[in-house]
Amino acid sequence: MTAQGDAANPAAGTGAGATPPASAPDRDIAELEDRWLRAMAELDNVRKRHSRELERQRAAERARVASVWLPVLDNLELALGHASDDPFAEGVRATLDQAVEVLARLGYPRHDATGVPFDPAVHEVVTVQDDPDAPPNAVVRVLRPGYGDLRPAAVAVSRQRE
Amino acid sequence: MATAVGIDLGTTNSAIAVVEGGRPTVIASAEGSRTTPSVVAFTESGERLVGQLAKRQAVLNPRGTIYSAKRFIGRRFEEVDEEVRTVTFDVVDGPNGSVRFKVHDKLYAPEEISAQVLRKLVDDAGKYLGEKVREAVITVPAYFNDSQRQATKDAGKIAGLEVLRIVNEPTAAALAYGLDRKGHETVLVFDLGGGTFDVSLLDVGDGVVEVRSTSGDTHLGGDDFDRRLVDHLADKFKNDTGIDLRNDAQALQRLSEAAEKTKVELSSVTQTQVSLPFITADSSGPKHLTETVTRSTFEQITADLVERCLGPVEQAMADGKVSANDIDEVILVGGSTRIPAVQKLVRRLTGGKDPNMSVNPDEVVALGAAVQAGVLKGEVKDVLLLDVTPLSLGVETRGGVMTRIIERNTTIPARRSEVFSTAEDDQPAVDVVVLQGERERAADNRVLGRFQLTGIRPAPRGEPQVEVIFDIDANGILNVTARDKDTGAEQGITISESSNLDTSEVERMVTDAEANQAQDRRLREAVDARNTLDSIAHQVEKTLSDLGDNAPAHERARAEMLVSETREAVSDEAPVERVRELTDELTQVLNGLMAAQSSAPAPPPGGSSATASDDDDVVDADFDRV
Repeated sequence: MTAQGDAANPAAGTGAGATPPASAPDRDIAELEDRWLRAMAELDNVRKRHSRELERQRAAERARVASVWLPVLDNLELALGHASDDPFAEGVRATLDQAVEVLARLGYPRHDATGVPFDPAVHEVVTVQDDPDAPPNAVVRVLRPGYGDLRPAAVAVSRQRE
Repeated sequence: MATAVGIDLGTTNSAIAVVEGGRPTVIASAEGSRTTPSVVAFTESGERLVGQLAKRQAVLNPRGTIYSAKRFIGRRFEEVDEEVRTVTFDVVDGPNGSVRFKVHDKLYAPEEISAQVLRKLVDDAGKYLGEKVREAVITVPAYFNDSQRQATKDAGKIAGLEVLRIVNEPTAAALAYGLDRKGHETVLVFDLGGGTFDVSLLDVGDGVVEVRSTSGDTHLGGDDFDRRLVDHLADKFKNDTGIDLRNDAQALQRLSEAAEKTKVELSSVTQTQVSLPFITADSSGPKHLTETVTRSTFEQITADLVERCLGPVEQAMADGKVSANDIDEVILVGGSTRIPAVQKLVRRLTGGKDPNMSVNPDEVVALGAAVQAGVLKGEVKDVLLLDVTPLSLGVETRGGVMTRIIERNTTIPARRSEVFSTAEDDQPAVDVVVLQGERERAADNRVLGRFQLTGIRPAPRGEPQVEVIFDIDANGILNVTARDKDTGAEQGITISESSNLDTSEVERMVTDAEANQAQDRRLREAVDARNTLDSIAHQVEKTLSDLGDNAPAHERARAEMLVSETREAVSDEAPVERVRELTDELTQVLNGLMAAQSSAPAPPPGGSSATASDDDDVVDADFDRV
């Protein structure tokens, strides 16, 4: 290792040593040191940014993969809306619950509560309804459930009273 | 140094980008999306929402949700008559004939709304960068007048930004493609966004970009194409079932999403299936929408939209006094330019020129703005110009292949090392052949130099460890050293010509490698497979001799037969399938022998298992026998 380092240095030394004027070696050393420190700092920053970026990419890819399955889930749920209460439908319903559970475990919990106040962080208003029994700005109907950050719940909201 | 960003402040969506490591990149919003809706909402409860969240509550709060502020910014109330009629919020006459938005009895200037969007973009970017963003370049349409530009600049100021410059959107697009660094050229920028269409002709060259002429249609964009598809699908469904899906909020939402997805898919395939099971129901039961949409159907129902792009392009060319032949480059901006029919039209109007579209058309303006911000901040000045190795560097290894040590395009100075071993028992020396190039076969690459490392102590093959170090300094001078880890003996060579190839030579070598990629990969696989087979055969032989008489007679006979077949296969360069077959059989035999070995009375120390694990960190390579 050491021997190798010595062997390599003379070549690099002559290459770099030819350029700076001999008159101001101290200034050159200071400048070179400054550049070296900047380069090291930049390297460190790039490394940090890279690891952050990796984390972000992982989350984005997970969300992308999970969200393409949502229509399948939606359609299964819509299908069950037409089913009767026989043991077969029960089994399929359990399968749907399982899928919802999988999404929750991946970090995308289901939002399908009615009666809660409208919150743009988890809801998207699709339509406004007059509902004398509901307080204003409350979710009166969930048209399509939401899942975590993947998709807000599409909801009908009670009209604000003038 | 504080970072300066580039912002594409759009009518429907906005984006922000920054130059990182010399390259512009778009920064995603806190919600994870690369564009942010240019929407601001003021809720009943006095809350202010910006972007995606504002958009989500628009239906609930139509009069408190402000969008398209860009259509009003810097204009006088009397100029925006038409626009006022297309929006759901109240637009009123402000002081001195200016435009104001009236929300919950409060008045807001368009620049205040744009400032909220800018603030949100900049805050999200600050979170990503880990530092506060204070300076920005903001883009505006080329046709914006002084008052509109000034108002946009004011929006930046209200958002707490120092606006380094207001740049034209088409200019930013040209910067993103680096066209300003080329010679003098006439460039057509075709920008079909979500809701607006702009055409610009630019004079570009020697670092200067000048707008020759502009034209457009302020109410034409991708949303129109989506609506056509929604209507097409809904009409068909109505014909079949008598049910109009447009009257059902839930169904309409699914249909709209499906229409946009279909539009996007039809840009890459010629037909696609729209499948919306259980879209609705009537007394007879559930109804499903299943419909195949072909690209030609889509083109039929949107033909008039595409034709509407024609007039503005011709107008811009007439105003700029250029013909199709005078246009040197065409740049496509905006997501809707991905539509094949739109691209076809552009080609037709520009004399068949292939448009520039390698940069994401949704992001190209923000990226160009970031480039401009970087230039204005002099970010380029402080960067040390670093060289890269134009071609890969490596050594020749067993089977006549090249093993790369430094990959091409590695930034130099750089130092890499790898450990190799011997190919034969008691091999006294290794030949190091230094190669440059991208081909798999050593003979197809350039030999930069060769030397010999001698004095390796007698040892079974695979045991000596020879470290080969490649070191390129900042001047491109390559030092190759081989060191015997056992004795510390080393030998080396200095090569100064590794980087003095001219560009055409480098290009030729890279193109050659690409052209021969498949063939080279097969060659490499064949060599690797033979090397694997050879070393397993060697292990089998070794295990046999270790076992001596303890080897079961039938196993021994089979093993010896397979080993001799192997030798033949290796020397005849047998096909990969044959080699793999032999490898499988030999591996079985080896496993059997090793089982016999572990149950044998006196297993010799350091058996084959050690050799096998060694293979993990020692590249099983060949240095020619001397």
